[in-house]
Amino acid sequence: MVQAESLTKRYRKAVAVEGLTFGVGPGEVYALLGPNGAGKTTTLRLLSTLVRPSAGRALVAGFDVVREPLEVRRNLGLVNGGMRVYDRLTGREVLEFFAGFYGLKGRAFREALDWVAGFLFLEETLDKRVMEMSTGMRQKIVIARAILHRPPVLLLDEATAGLDVFARRALLDFVKAYRDLGHAVIYSTHVMGEAEEVADRVGFLHRGRLVYEGSKEEALALGEGSLERAFVWTAQNVA
Amino acid sequence: MDFVFRVSWKELVQVFRDRKLVFSTLVLPVLLMPVLMFGPTLLLGRLVQQTAEKRQEVAVAGLPEEALRALEAAHLVPVPVQDPEVLVREGKYPAGIAYRDGVYRVYARLSGGVTEGQVVAGKVQNALQSLKERKVAEALAQKGLPLEVLSPFRVEVVDAATEREKASGLLGFLLPFFLVIFILSGGQVVAVDATAGEKEKGTLEALLTAPVPLFHLALGKTLAAVAMALLSGVAGLSGLALGGAWAHRFAPDLLAQGGPPLGGGLALDGGSFLGLSLSAFLLALLMGAAMVALGLYARSFKEAQSYLAPLQLLAILPLLFLQFRGLVEVPSWTSLLPIVNVALLMDALFKGTATPLSMVLTWGSTLAYALLALGLAVWAFGREDVVFRN
Repeated sequence: MVQAESLTKRYRKAVAVEGLTFGVGPGEVYALLGPNGAGKTTTLRLLSTLVRPSAGRALVAGFDVVREPLEVRRNLGLVNGGMRVYDRLTGREVLEFFAGFYGLKGRAFREALDWVAGFLFLEETLDKRVMEMSTGMRQKIVIARAILHRPPVLLLDEATAGLDVFARRALLDFVKAYRDLGHAVIYSTHVMGEAEEVADRVGFLHRGRLVYEGSKEEALALGEGSLERAFVWTAQNVA
Repeated sequence: MDFVFRVSWKELVQVFRDRKLVFSTLVLPVLLMPVLMFGPTLLLGRLVQQTAEKRQEVAVAGLPEEALRALEAAHLVPVPVQDPEVLVREGKYPAGIAYRDGVYRVYARLSGGVTEGQVVAGKVQNALQSLKERKVAEALAQKGLPLEVLSPFRVEVVDAATEREKASGLLGFLLPFFLVIFILSGGQVVAVDATAGEKEKGTLEALLTAPVPLFHLALGKTLAAVAMALLSGVAGLSGLALGGAWAHRFAPDLLAQGGPPLGGGLALDGGSFLGLSLSAFLLALLMGAAMVALGLYARSFKEAQSYLAPLQLLAILPLLFLQFRGLVEVPSWTSLLPIVNVALLMDALFKGTATPLSMVLTWGSTLAYALLALGLAVWAFGREDVVFRN
């Protein structure tokens, strides 16, 4: 579903990510782990066509992120921790606004809305304006917007930032449920504990380079049961 | 076009649900324009009238009896003093008159706009002028000469302008001027909210990950700014028209005393109205696209406003020179100058003097500038260093 080959992004003299090569298949959660500034956000922006790679290439659902950006966007959903939706619209209006870009109108929209509302337990809040919602509910609308068209690829970047314990729990459960529908999920975070819960495979990103990749079990074994220990050991010995 | 209208709809709904914004952009102009345009004129007319009707004391020195009587007849109370000039300077009297060697000297403090001194000096001048004319008439009568000997012929200046030109009055200049201001201020509200506002609120990234071509995105946001700009323009001009209608109906005499005629008898034919509407639309399109491009470059509301303020000045300053358009010949190439060309054409459309060449040049060049600005906005949306500039 996602294939990156030698993916590189440079900003003038600074290198944000360099030579990233990894793949994510359907029904898999790939946790991209690393501290702040490791290049996680840049990687997801590259995959979601928000920034152009300086070198290398990436395919999302079989489409090239440089040559076919609109096709790529039709096949992915992106959620990040700082992402918001229009606070003066109701949840329903926000979703209807975005649904139209994916050709979901009329009956198709209503069906998609029913599905996403049931999947994320949104029914009671759809007709509230976003500004009247709690932080957790707003985040659910952000997620609903990203998956309304049921993209085969979902990218989550520090998606639990600022969420309370209930909202965070709901989000982690959602990630697993979305994976179980057969979709590919890239879960980017610096909170290793979250990755331990949701990931199938992990990639350690350190100073813009992918320094380790493997199954969660292998990574846990490397860190004697802790992804955090595995990351620190890898960063110190491999990078 | 579905994506374009979808984006425009979202931007407008966002703005229309902000009551403060709607009030300041659409309601306030309707309320403020009559006050701004006609308030000072009506107030000035009323004050001048009251001052003229009031009986004022004036300092006098050395005036003959007949002059004193003439002043009293003009609702003035002459008060004999030593030095009228000093007392007027000290503010103890609004005006003073001294007579010496066959010369009446009228003293008043004349600087600082319209003052009571000016009005009273006018009353004194009129009273003395009437006295002078009466004395001349008496002298002529004593010598058996008719009064007409003083004016063997008359000179009349006749306004040869068309009725439509006369009717447009100052409004031919003022309406385009205010229209530009309202288009700028109304369009800015949406342009900033749709660009820097999206960045600041964290909503832009979600929009950019949707499969919307950048041209549709930029055009949608620009058209929303255009719609708000035109609505704001209509609101402002409605306020002006309402204020004008009210002033002409209830206080025409005061309006006449307050200053030069503002017009108010404007009557446009269908073609001119369509021409004006097209001009306003193209101007709004140009300004909307420019503001969207600039707004996107900003990191926040505040920064966007700091970029757009100079743009507004740049747009408004040249319009001030349009006041002098009657003193110089306006060459054809001015129809290619952005914004100024639209104001010139609007003025000509109001007066019925627009030529096909000026219309084609103005509309064609404004459309070209608008497309350039739109291209700039599309380019800005495609630049990651602009979109993620924070």
